[in-house]
Amino acid sequence: MSGPRHELPSDVDLSRVWTSVAAQVWRRQPGWLERAAGRLLRSPGLARALLTTPSLLLPWLIASAVVLAAGAAATLGSGQPIVALLAPGVAAAAIAYSYGPGVDPAWELSCSMAVSDRMVLLVRALAVFAVNAVLGLAASAVSAAWVVPAASGVAAASGAAAAVTFGWLIPMTAVCAFALAVATLARSANAGAAAAVAAWLIIVLSGRVASGHFAAAVTATVLFLPYLAIGVTCAAVAVFATRIPRGTYR
Amino acid sequence: MNVDITDLTRRFGRNQAVAGVDLQAGPGVFGLLGPNGAGKTTLLRMMATVIPPTSGRLRLLGCDPGAYGPRRDVRRRLGYLPQNLGYYPGFTVVEFVEYFALLKEMPAARVPAAVATAVERVDLGGRAKAKLRTLSGGMLRRVGIAQAIVNEPELLLLDEPTAGLDPEQRVAFRALLRDLGQRATVVVSTHLVEDVGAACSEVALMDQGKIVFHGTPAELTARGTEHGTGDAPLERGYTAVLAAARS
Repeated sequence: MSGPRHELPSDVDLSRVWTSVAAQVWRRQPGWLERAAGRLLRSPGLARALLTTPSLLLPWLIASAVVLAAGAAATLGSGQPIVALLAPGVAAAAIAYSYGPGVDPAWELSCSMAVSDRMVLLVRALAVFAVNAVLGLAASAVSAAWVVPAASGVAAASGAAAAVTFGWLIPMTAVCAFALAVATLARSANAGAAAAVAAWLIIVLSGRVASGHFAAAVTATVLFLPYLAIGVTCAAVAVFATRIPRGTYR
Repeated sequence: MNVDITDLTRRFGRNQAVAGVDLQAGPGVFGLLGPNGAGKTTLLRMMATVIPPTSGRLRLLGCDPGAYGPRRDVRRRLGYLPQNLGYYPGFTVVEFVEYFALLKEMPAARVPAAVATAVERVDLGGRAKAKLRTLSGGMLRRVGIAQAIVNEPELLLLDEPTAGLDPEQRVAFRALLRDLGQRATVVVSTHLVEDVGAACSEVALMDQGKIVFHGTPAELTARGTEHGTGDAPLERGYTAVLAAARS
């Protein structure tokens, strides 16, 4: 192919031109979710870190939805609050796997970044908690609507939904905080998930032994204050475990 | 001084990895030599603010990284290539470098051009859109270098940067180091003495957590004229200083 040849002006820096072109060609356009998170968090880096929970984001979302949907189905079939019993364990495992040296391949590098690893941990944990809370709420609403007949009225159904929701939301807070505390102390997501799920199993089984009902762990209101106390204590432990001790650099 | 370290120590349980190091470094390429287990990586990790020292004084870029605000400021101006660079297999080269540019809090508008420049500087323009899982070890190392230099750091810390690079790439990398060292403090930890001879203006030799030599490559070479063993002059200096430190 032949055509007119143009001489390049001598003051054109070709490598600079190429870099500008490459920057436009290679640039990745963030999706709407990332743009929204960036605006909300006021940090494009934190938004990217939130949405690139490496290789875990989609499997975790699918797993949480499937488990809670299965729980709702089981609740409809058995009349037992299966969703309430499942939600704390599901969320705690997801929290433990949201961040850490065994989970994030580039964790060492992330620890040297201006967007602090503690902020990434906090934002990812909150996101996991929020998504699980929404999924749990949906599953609880379905279960409550089934348990309370439509003839009893919307107010009764709403009351039942609220009772069921609080039943698992408060234990979920405690078990998630426990998972986070163990995972950060042991620096192992496996340890955090295993400890939290084991602790939740012990609580459920203890409730069964003490009261004769499997659902006691999520229906006994006397447990709510201890759950909250555990949640606050474990959150404080997680904050302590992720600190960089002051004064050591001097 | 961009790096000002006084009596820095770091313990892991009973093991003292870094034992009272004093070090000052301004702009230029600074080589950190030493055998395996000498404490080079631990020293670099402290300088990268990944782990805190057990005791001692560490000032980076004129700041005390012990407090949150100054540490964040240092991290914005820092480039770090860890010894074991973890990577996300599903990311492309550009996505990986861009991710860390954002985590370094570079202004979002500047990121695409900075990423393109960094990727071109490590000669990966032809693989910019390739997934990391498809790259060779040497290419992954260059991706790591690209993320380290994307923010044009004033302090660049490279741990075994030439591991996995072929001879041609190593020559190109040394030229890049010399170029970067004109504006920034570049600290290169390595056990390959030829890298130090070719690229560094200053060198420190570590052994058993301590700095046992600090000077120019020429001064290190001079130490080996009588007692050292090795094929190259710098290697003879290296072995002579180590032998003297251990005797």
